Amino acid sequence: MSTQNPIMREFSFMVRDRAVMIWIVVVLCLSVVTVWSGLGEVQYQRDTINRLLEDDESNRAAEFSKQTDWGSAAYYSFHLTYDSPSDFAFAAMGQRDSAPWKHRVRMLALEGQIYEHDTGNPVLALVGRFDFAFFSAFVLPLVLIFLLHDLQASERVAGRYNLLVATTGSPKSSWLTRAFLRSSGILIATIVPLLIAGALSGTSFLIILSAVLMVFAYIVFWTLLCVWFASWNHSASVILSALIGVWIVLSTIVPAGGRMVIDGMVPVPSGADILMTQREAVNDAWDLPKEDTMRPFLERHPEWANYTPTEISFAWEWYFAFQQVGDQKTEQLSEAYVAGRVERDRLASLLSIVSPPALLERSLQRLANTDMQAALAYEGRVRAFHAELRAFYYPGLFGGDPFDKSALKELPSFSAN
Amino acid sequence: MNAVLIIAKEEWRYWLRSKLAISVIALFVATLVAVTLLTAVRMGAESHERAHHQGEAEETFLSQPDRHPHRMVHYGHYVFREPAPLSLFDPGIDPVTGQSIFLEGHRQNSATFSNSAASADLGGLSWLTPAIIYQVFAPLLIILLGHGAIIREREAKALAPLLAQGVDGRVIIAGKALALTSFVLLLLIPLGFSALLAVSNGESFLASASLVGVYFLYMLVWSALTLFVSSSLPKRSAVIATLAALWLAFTLVIPAIAVNVASRGVPLAGKIETDFAMLNEANKLGDGHNSKDAAFDQLRASLLKQYNVERVEDLEVNIRGIVAQKAEKDLTDVLNTFAYKRMDGELRQVAMIADHGWFTPMLAVASASRAISGTDLVHYHLFLRQAESLRFEFVQGLNKVHAEQLSYTDDINRNRDEESWQKVLMDSSNWQVLNEFHFETASTSARLSSAGMSILMLIIWMGVLSGILLGIGGRLKP
Repeated sequence: MSTQNPIMREFSFMVRDRAVMIWIVVVLCLSVVTVWSGLGEVQYQRDTINRLLEDDESNRAAEFSKQTDWGSAAYYSFHLTYDSPSDFAFAAMGQRDSAPWKHRVRMLALEGQIYEHDTGNPVLALVGRFDFAFFSAFVLPLVLIFLLHDLQASERVAGRYNLLVATTGSPKSSWLTRAFLRSSGILIATIVPLLIAGALSGTSFLIILSAVLMVFAYIVFWTLLCVWFASWNHSASVILSALIGVWIVLSTIVPAGGRMVIDGMVPVPSGADILMTQREAVNDAWDLPKEDTMRPFLERHPEWANYTPTEISFAWEWYFAFQQVGDQKTEQLSEAYVAGRVERDRLASLLSIVSPPALLERSLQRLANTDMQAALAYEGRVRAFHAELRAFYYPGLFGGDPFDKSALKELPSFSAN
Repeated sequence: MNAVLIIAKEEWRYWLRSKLAISVIALFVATLVAVTLLTAVRMGAESHERAHHQGEAEETFLSQPDRHPHRMVHYGHYVFREPAPLSLFDPGIDPVTGQSIFLEGHRQNSATFSNSAASADLGGLSWLTPAIIYQVFAPLLIILLGHGAIIREREAKALAPLLAQGVDGRVIIAGKALALTSFVLLLLIPLGFSALLAVSNGESFLASASLVGVYFLYMLVWSALTLFVSSSLPKRSAVIATLAALWLAFTLVIPAIAVNVASRGVPLAGKIETDFAMLNEANKLGDGHNSKDAAFDQLRASLLKQYNVERVEDLEVNIRGIVAQKAEKDLTDVLNTFAYKRMDGELRQVAMIADHGWFTPMLAVASASRAISGTDLVHYHLFLRQAESLRFEFVQGLNKVHAEQLSYTDDINRNRDEESWQKVLMDSSNWQVLNEFHFETASTSARLSSAGMSILMLIIWMGVLSGILLGIGGRLKP
């Protein structure tokens, strides 16, 4: 036995330590639960999108079959836009529980539609899903704390401390070996389910590798922190309390304070102002001379300058022009709303450097493309698609191209990425 | 009884000697007070802002010029969800739900603009509210103070002499429990402050007091659990490790797993998806803008019969307004059927989460807290229903003006020239059909009864743990 190398010796200690093995099994089970339900949720979202695409297609075809001019074709047809979950979304659902990932729009003023919200049950978003990101960022450190806080105190209590120090020569490296062996057990229990789920869902090697490295670095960070605290000459309960205190500060107090400060520092326009401005602009247009609508519209679209407004009381061209002018009048507020969210997210990502749990969760969400950036990018794609719709219909409406049902097949289709 | 008091007093003396305990309590109380004040200020500002927007929206609607009544149906109106008074303690789902809805004819829009959609995202625990502090972090404090209660005496070999002197084990446990109970009462002071503030903002005293009571019960459950573990395990390190693991499971893991279970257990189609089915139903109804639609043949015939005339032009009412009324009614019935079905599914998901209160007292207290505060899903649905009934009322009010004050002949000739257009503009005093909107929580008794099941769970938790403690006290071994 004495010739055995110290790592092997510590390893055989650990395998016989029931408490350590139980924690490793618990972590393994929890990790399996997170990725398993994550995979299920991703599948559910994919199925939903596929079903919606079918319904959307047939619904639009049915509408088109009834229409005989560009205006009503544009007015009555809705278009599904969506944000498919990435192949790593199973690990971090992120904003997908509170921000929309599907949206049906038509060629009316976009500002009146884009904030519509088809998301799930708010209580689920509030309590929060048990996904891999939450598990590894918030639960895992606590498990490490429970496993490592009494490395030395327990030996002191058992009266073996001095004996151990005397026999192993370098006590520091012995604690470190023991701590890192335990952490390695936890690391393996955490990432094996992730690797299997990644293989099942076809996640790219690079993304899985980055995720594993992040979790690895995170576990090293908490292990070192625990080892340092554990070396204090205090009772195990004092060390445990102190470590849990650190966990609370890093995972809750810093993020909560940060959110409050950032939201206070970077104001965003109130939603009410955006909606009211848009509604007033669109509704006032009915009573304004057509001139007043066409002027700002043509400023934006000089290519239709030759268009002459008709005298009749209602014309689709004018109707869609004032829908667009409604968007134009809201533009400033709407851009400020986007810019405010971008800025808040940027500051949050800066601040997360001092909150490792927030940093890990955000980083995993970035890898999974489920963070605020992804939600904003999706909103941007909806805007771009809406602009394409306008570009498609305007030649018919303002250029006088004759209505041609077969041309509707050339309609821009929303591209998921 | 005297012995119980002495033991409790000793326990307090022990706590006060521990620098760690004092500093952790100080830190906790400072955080709690700060969060209580900040949340109260934030929700106060939210409330003020939303009430302001609501007033503005009403004013704008009422100040619209003379118009064709159907223009006003499409002009629409906004309602804002004012937070409940107790949301200054437990904002519940307020930050994750939309704050305003645009109400217009022929449509039910969803609530838009939630705070979380625009907030800086810093992880799953960054929405800190007084309620979360009590639900998640107060138990830690109880564990920190209470875990040593029995095991400390046992490890110091102090239990044996006490028992030998004839002190009943149950008295020892009662003394320790009394000490923890008095500590819990002190912890409730900031909550009491929030509750009184809510009462001064119009909340009922009973609801506020019940909220305090529910949290008192919750913290007693944790105190009893702590004493139970402290008196059952042989080593202090095992006691604290077990309690910490229970805390991790009860406050972080089981609630999140409950969400996964509920979302898989009751799969819920989104609004876009149900809208397809809803449109199929709605398309079977006639177009309310077209009084000649075949769907209204029967209505037309019965009107002609009722007024004993041959042509719709001779009716005393404008058939276009009558048709608009009927179409709105029929469509609203369809819309409501789908909306209620969706609400029903959401409620079943939430009930499934609440059922996990049998596995963790945290979910029981969280459900009860939101229900009593008026910040749960039931109240969000209540807001949607109140908004919908306001929508239906003003749309039908405008349709009534359309039917009774605007002549059919003028109506169909409105686009002939400027003069005929002027004839269909109804006086803006008619816009008074819009009622004021002010979102209010359900009655105190309704809120308490919807919290009933969760409160019962807490009582059973408490009952079972007290029974176990009594049993342990009866045969407490040194």
